[in-house]
Amino acid sequence: MSTTERRTMTLNLTEAEMRVLEALAEKKDLSKTAVLRQALRLYQLIEHRTSQGERLVLEDDRLAKKAEVMVL
Amino acid sequence: MGERVQVAERASGQLVEATLHEGLTTRDLEVIERSWAAHRAELVAALMGAGVERRLWPESLHWDWGRKAPLLELLLVNAFGVACRGGWQAVMMTKTAGYDARVSSEAGKPLVYVDFVETAPWNWTISELGRLPVFKGLGSVLIRRAVQQSRAEGFRGRVGLHALPQAERFYGQVCGMTRVGPDAAKQDLVYFEFTRQQADAFISGGGDR
Repeated sequence: MSTTERRTMTLNLTEAEMRVLEALAEKKDLSKTAVLRQALRLYQLIEHRTSQGERLVLEDDRLAKKAEVMVL
Repeated sequence: MGERVQVAERASGQLVEATLHEGLTTRDLEVIERSWAAHRAELVAALMGAGVERRLWPESLHWDWGRKAPLLELLLVNAFGVACRGGWQAVMMTKTAGYDARVSSEAGKPLVYVDFVETAPWNWTISELGRLPVFKGLGSVLIRRAVQQSRAEGFRGRVGLHALPQAERFYGQVCGMTRVGPDAAKQDLVYFEFTRQQADAFISGGGDR
């Protein structure tokens, strides 16, 4: 399969999940499919980096807060 | 397979046919680096021999595409290259997730981030050595492709990048990107961004062809 060929799948979401997906699509000016593609790419990136021993940390300079995010 | 594009051959002043490839593989980047490395080494020797100050050396002289190749394992990373006359003339690596627009009118919306873009060493202008590029217009071909990728992703042409100092004029004045300013998180390199409207203008204007 080429890198640009598409495959189709059916996705079943709860009402809450769909509301979040729609809100993200609206906020980011993206289609819902594009939002899910973004999510998959970022999930793969995080999985790749954490599997090499790196940690995912969220930091707020203004509040001097730092928290490690657990990725399952 | 690839898209047919034209680049300018400086010596003849003619436009020549080239191919813009997408989906470059790890092997492609390794082949590119093997091809370019000898020219990089020759340039270092020539620059040292001519006593050219380090600050005037081409800023991407130390890059190694073979070392960037493992990034292609990630879905968010894509590589493009321009080939003609039997060789790779320029290459670009982009990212399609994790980067949002900074220009206030579109802040927070996703964009294509150009992580690396470089022409082959024989396509560099090095005035200190009296060297001129074999082919010109390669940067515009690749930035135009980044805009097309942005549109295909649903990002409406938004593109962002950090420019090496020697390339700032190209992105700001030739491409017409917004100069957002130096970025302390990226070695103070100046960050540039195409808004949707600027990308449209760049493409409709021929992408500097």
